[in-house]
Amino acid sequence: MNSALDPKFTEIDQISEGYRAAGYICNRSIATTLYLAHHLGKPVLVEGPAGVGKTDLAKTMATYLELPLIRLQCYEGLDESKALYEWKYGKQLLYTQLLKDKLDRIIDPEENLSESMEKLHRYEDVFFSKKFLEPRPLLKALEQAEGAVLLIDEVDKADDEFEAFLLEILSDFQVSIPEIGTIQPGTRPYVFLTSNSTRELSEALKRRCLHLFIPFPDASLERDIVRTRVPGISGRLEIQLVTFIQQIRQMDVKKPPSIGETIDWARVLLLLHANDLNPDLVRETLHVILKFEEDIRIVSQNIFTMTDISVRSAGN
Amino acid sequence: MDQVLQNFISVLRESGVPVSISETLDAAHALEIVGYGDRKVLKDSLGSSLAKSAREREVFDRCFDQYFTLEMPSVETASDRCGESAQTEFPLSPLSRMLLVGDTPGLIASMFQAARRANLESLRYPTQKAFFAMRMLDTMGSGELDRDIAQLGESGSPLPLKISADLADARRSLFESIIKFIEDRFEMLSNGTYNHLIEDYLRNSRLTHIEERDLHRMHAIIQKMVKRLNDLHSRRKRTARRGMLDFKRTLRKNITYEGYLFVPAWKTKKIERPDIIVICDISRSVSRLVRFFLLFLYSLNREVARIRSFVFCSNLTEVTEYFEKYPVEAALAVIQNGAGLDILMGRTDYGRALQDFRENGMDSLTRNTTVIILGDARSNFSDPRPDILRSISQRCKRLLWMNPEVPTFWGTGDSEMYRYSPYCTLLQECNTLNHLERIIGSLLRH
Repeated sequence: MNSALDPKFTEIDQISEGYRAAGYICNRSIATTLYLAHHLGKPVLVEGPAGVGKTDLAKTMATYLELPLIRLQCYEGLDESKALYEWKYGKQLLYTQLLKDKLDRIIDPEENLSESMEKLHRYEDVFFSKKFLEPRPLLKALEQAEGAVLLIDEVDKADDEFEAFLLEILSDFQVSIPEIGTIQPGTRPYVFLTSNSTRELSEALKRRCLHLFIPFPDASLERDIVRTRVPGISGRLEIQLVTFIQQIRQMDVKKPPSIGETIDWARVLLLLHANDLNPDLVRETLHVILKFEEDIRIVSQNIFTMTDISVRSAGN
Repeated sequence: MDQVLQNFISVLRESGVPVSISETLDAAHALEIVGYGDRKVLKDSLGSSLAKSAREREVFDRCFDQYFTLEMPSVETASDRCGESAQTEFPLSPLSRMLLVGDTPGLIASMFQAARRANLESLRYPTQKAFFAMRMLDTMGSGELDRDIAQLGESGSPLPLKISADLADARRSLFESIIKFIEDRFEMLSNGTYNHLIEDYLRNSRLTHIEERDLHRMHAIIQKMVKRLNDLHSRRKRTARRGMLDFKRTLRKNITYEGYLFVPAWKTKKIERPDIIVICDISRSVSRLVRFFLLFLYSLNREVARIRSFVFCSNLTEVTEYFEKYPVEAALAVIQNGAGLDILMGRTDYGRALQDFRENGMDSLTRNTTVIILGDARSNFSDPRPDILRSISQRCKRLLWMNPEVPTFWGTGDSEMYRYSPYCTLLQECNTLNHLERIIGSLLRH
């Protein structure tokens, strides 16, 4: 499938390179999964803690392949009318009212009732044609001739029913609209589903996807990420900063800092023209990486030792 | 399909990763694409197509490392101790020869072959280990080895005697290798089955008899049961929640606009949650059960039910806020020992508890409320006040009583069960997880 895009998927390393060029550092296991997703033509279910770049994975895929990204944000109560398609009821109603006069002309006053009905039947599909169809993300993704990257974000927030409804799309990449028929795409979209594991997804859904778990990155990968995202940062500071963050993740905090927060912190420190971490600087900027008062308190207690370890890890 | 992959998948299944047929096919396709060349790529590819959650991935990683291991079973041979000449001079069996010459690859090959012949894959219980070891030894030719040792030992001259002694040593180490080999296999194969057995046992055993070390298992089982109940009931609840055009209301709403229909009206949501009040006896006789019961209820809390809970011993107090403030497990710990609660852990007094409830909780009873009382109704001969229970029963929708004692003990000694029973909609014995599940399941069905 997707043979036109094959040159971008011949090697696993090529994918990581392409992603790196787009500003996303992915390790080999992520690249392997993407490689397989392409060759098997399967959706990818991405799980992991908040802020490890699950959503960005899909966004970068769109940049890499130069395809449009179509995003569907899931929430409780999401149903097919918001995800797949909806009839433009208002427009339909308005048109019926506006066309009232036309009806008189179509129907000859001389005719009897059954003949008029017969005539009307010829027009009945007018109101249920594509003109009155409002495509929502899922249908939109299938309609793209060149293919697309479809991101179904936080699928665990949606109801079980919606999950069941996704099955048809994920396994056959087609949808049926009773009034129009089955819609099949010219090119299969790349599908990413993300989940924060707030609840267990159904077996059926998991079965149709490749599974990718993205944990917090290890120190060297995280440094790589910081370097790519915040190019101006000095090598020393970058090592110190990542060491500090990695230490916090080992601690028992409510919300461990994510990669996004590491990057924010790096930017802040760059703005402050910091060369080294020191306890005061860290204390003043701690709220950038920690979002709970309690977490800040826990970390503040150990701030001296942690800063010390970080500074020492960068050498002299 | 690839035999190696197939065996690996059966190992995974045994270890508790439910691999479906379609996932097997995916893995096979993935294997065609990536091949066996790169271990890391192979692991990631199989992992993403076979393991579908973080927990499964953990199991997968362990199995993968065990299964696709390069570490061969080590076999110590007698090669350094005995010359090549020995095997030419005496007619020895192939196994003895291999042991003498130190043909490790040959021995390993024959060990794997023996494992296959002995059908080692069917190993399930620890008690079968010795049996399989015997079978494997037999297939490898241990009978001939024994004979060789005996014959050489009888000859009396120094060289054969030495060979015989060496062989005996080698035989011992071969035994050990085989046992080790079987142990490793057992580790890999039996994990799942054994867990399954324990789970079955726990579901049906008395909650009060469950030991501390099994608690985490219980929690896992409860989570599983809760998930099923949630799935079952949240679906029913949501049938009324479709965002569809409500034609009748649309017509009615648009009468104002001279019948021109341009404000559509939608079908709206309707959510029905059972309203539950729990009253638990936390005296020592039932505290274990209470723990599981509350764990069960509060796992449901988020999705299905709205719960207020009271606990009592000598008097009664409300603990709902603890569940709101702390995670369930922490709240349970507080409740179980009664520390920091406004409660006297003296003699259980059902009359006093009911009286306290009448003062504090009676107002919140509506005709939608289900009241659940958990306790053995042993009131230490104080006045049980069944009249209060009657008024509770009259004001609520249902009154369920769960008694951890078996029915034959009801009404004996200080048990007041039969004085309370006329006012209970349902009175049931409850002392295993399966009981709990059944009762709570019926709670949601109405």
